Amino acid sequence: MSRFNPYGDSSGGSSLAIAGADFAILAGDTRHSTGFSIDSRDQSQIADLGDGLFLTSNGFSADAKQLVDDLRTQIKWYHHNNNDHKLSISAAARTTMMLLYGKRFFPYYVNPIMIGMADDGTGAVYSFDPLGSYDREPSRAAGHASELLMPFLDNQVTFANQLDPQTGEPRKRLDLDLQTAVDLVKDAFTGAAERQVQVGDTLEIVILTKDGVDRQYYDLRRD
Amino acid sequence: MQHTQEKWGRPRDDVYGPYDASYLNSEPRTQTLQPTVTGTSVIGMKFNNGVVIAADNLASYGSLRRFIDQERLIKVGSETVVGVGGDVSDLQTIEEIMEGLEISESYDEPAQSLTAPNIHSYLQRIMYKRRSKLDPLWNALVIGGFKNDEPYLAFIDLLGTTYTAPAVASGFGSYLAIPILRKLVDREGDQQNVSKEQAVDAIKEAMKVLFYRDGRALDKYSLAILSKKDGKPDVEILKDVRVENQNWSMAKQIKGFGTQDE
Amino acid sequence: MFLTRSEYDRGVSTFSPEGRLFQVEYSLEAIKLGSTAVGIKTKDGVILGVEKRANSKLMESGSINKIEEIEKHIGCAFSGLTADARMMIDHARVEATNHAFNYDEPTSVETLTQSVCDLALRFGESGEGQERVMSRPFGVALLIAGYDERLGPQLYHTEPTGTFYMYDAKAIGSGSEGAQAELQQKYYSNMTMAEAEILLLKVLKQVMEEKLEAKNVQLAKVTKEGFQLYTTEELEKLVADLPADVDQDELAELS
Repeated sequence: MSRFNPYGDSSGGSSLAIAGADFAILAGDTRHSTGFSIDSRDQSQIADLGDGLFLTSNGFSADAKQLVDDLRTQIKWYHHNNNDHKLSISAAARTTMMLLYGKRFFPYYVNPIMIGMADDGTGAVYSFDPLGSYDREPSRAAGHASELLMPFLDNQVTFANQLDPQTGEPRKRLDLDLQTAVDLVKDAFTGAAERQVQVGDTLEIVILTKDGVDRQYYDLRRD
Repeated sequence: MQHTQEKWGRPRDDVYGPYDASYLNSEPRTQTLQPTVTGTSVIGMKFNNGVVIAADNLASYGSLRRFIDQERLIKVGSETVVGVGGDVSDLQTIEEIMEGLEISESYDEPAQSLTAPNIHSYLQRIMYKRRSKLDPLWNALVIGGFKNDEPYLAFIDLLGTTYTAPAVASGFGSYLAIPILRKLVDREGDQQNVSKEQAVDAIKEAMKVLFYRDGRALDKYSLAILSKKDGKPDVEILKDVRVENQNWSMAKQIKGFGTQDE
Repeated sequence: MFLTRSEYDRGVSTFSPEGRLFQVEYSLEAIKLGSTAVGIKTKDGVILGVEKRANSKLMESGSINKIEEIEKHIGCAFSGLTADARMMIDHARVEATNHAFNYDEPTSVETLTQSVCDLALRFGESGEGQERVMSRPFGVALLIAGYDERLGPQLYHTEPTGTFYMYDAKAIGSGSEGAQAELQQKYYSNMTMAEAEILLLKVLKQVMEEKLEAKNVQLAKVTKEGFQLYTTEELEKLVADLPADVDQDELAELS
């Protein structure tokens, strides 16, 4: 006898984040699909949590919605209990962990990525697994095209396992500027949309700097 | 005297029979494992001034055409229509829930009007809650109405998955109707260039294709047309609409089924 | 005075016709019986000081404890019923630990103070499913001193009524009236920690019945580095260095 499966394969396509010395970027496509069917071409997957925090959660999209709603409630109560103090990204990340681990035995089937500006003014990217394990990272990709996006980011953002031909020392990314990062995001998604059917339609990019939030949109393959 | 400790304090097997441990090996208690009496696709699309939704009047019992006048479009509040596919008894549950919602909202003075986004959110919460209890309402829902005078169209399934789009369809409709509807409204904003007549024609065409190719569809359906007239919502639900201009001439070409000469 | 209230002062949850809760008001009297506690805020930190009243020569004064650490960055002094204070401090410690666990950051001093005050009115009859903590109001007032990233050093005073206020300098307990008047006169906002130490001891000395000694006072400070109790050696030095008879206006002149 078959049992009801509470998890489904409905999801937003893919998302990706890059942290810089004074900026953070979160990007995602606006395609929502179930299996091989495109449900919507205009479903934003980047949630504005307030307090300068943005979140994507790839995976099962009903759980992703619930996680965002839970987080918004948590943040509201944090404000009530702490004299409207802004929730820092490190505190928001811990809160997210608590929500995810709180459902350890009926998990939210999602891989969240959160961005914000850290207390010291640097851009911050936090990524999570479905059970709540989390870490701050220089970059992270999630969703259907994560296998395509992540190696590209390792190669172009963190210069992972690359040696400088002159010195023979490991290459380090010290000077990643905003424009380069945005270009990397666009390239990453153009490539992902080429090879992954669940990714496409429109690329939405949220850029965080000390001056505020900037949203940009770019067309992707629509087939 | 019993000399094995694990027997102490337990009912004697020779008097009460051996311990029945069968429940330990049984499946946990489950709820709806499969739908029984079902409705097939619901489809909907936006146009420049509103939304059109259609669902046929058939309630199937497996492959049996069990009830042929099942209404599957529910009007909620004054300006929203919910189309329901999937299990019909769960449809009736949703109908009751919507009735309860309308009643409790009507106590407010001045009466707050329920809008499509309100109902969409409320239904999504119910669907997600029930799936989380592993006791789902086995339905796919299409919600049509208005949000700040703009057309609003959303979809929810039995897992609580939800999205909005200018054209939505459940079941077979997502394969057969969506390509027809997306010719007019592919992405958000395309509805600006689509008139009510165009939308109704596209929906009728899609219902025809569904009747041709979906074995669980009927050629009699309800059609809800929601539009704004002078800023006021106007909800028109046409019943007993027929699939027109049916052409079955190709049926004669099909060989190998039924009684034929050769 | 008390006789006129007799009809409405028994039930902890019964208002008098004038709208007063006498049992709560009486709890404020319990604090006035307690030993004096003083807190002074400076720009670098907060100092707490209490008088330790030994009621017998045979009593070990080191066993009297009226200043406690709540978290690394928060401490509190109290006056009134010590056992009640311990309940509140216990609660505060749990809340502070929970906050650190849930948010990966130290709790703000104000949030912590609020959570302590949330306990204050949980007496009397409880509602369905609601936990009743106490049969009567608390009989203790707290001076909560803390340091956080947002507001720096802070000093809060909490009462059994559940209200709390922020202070630059505050005295509670039996000698509070005199002590508060003294603070009012001598406090100035750009005081250093060293000056606050002297002022605090001077104020305590004035209101104490016994002679001020290292063994009958307890001092603690909360600075950027956290909560720290003064050691006996530090206290002995401070008391010894305290000007024997400071001119009343000397400190005021400094401001």
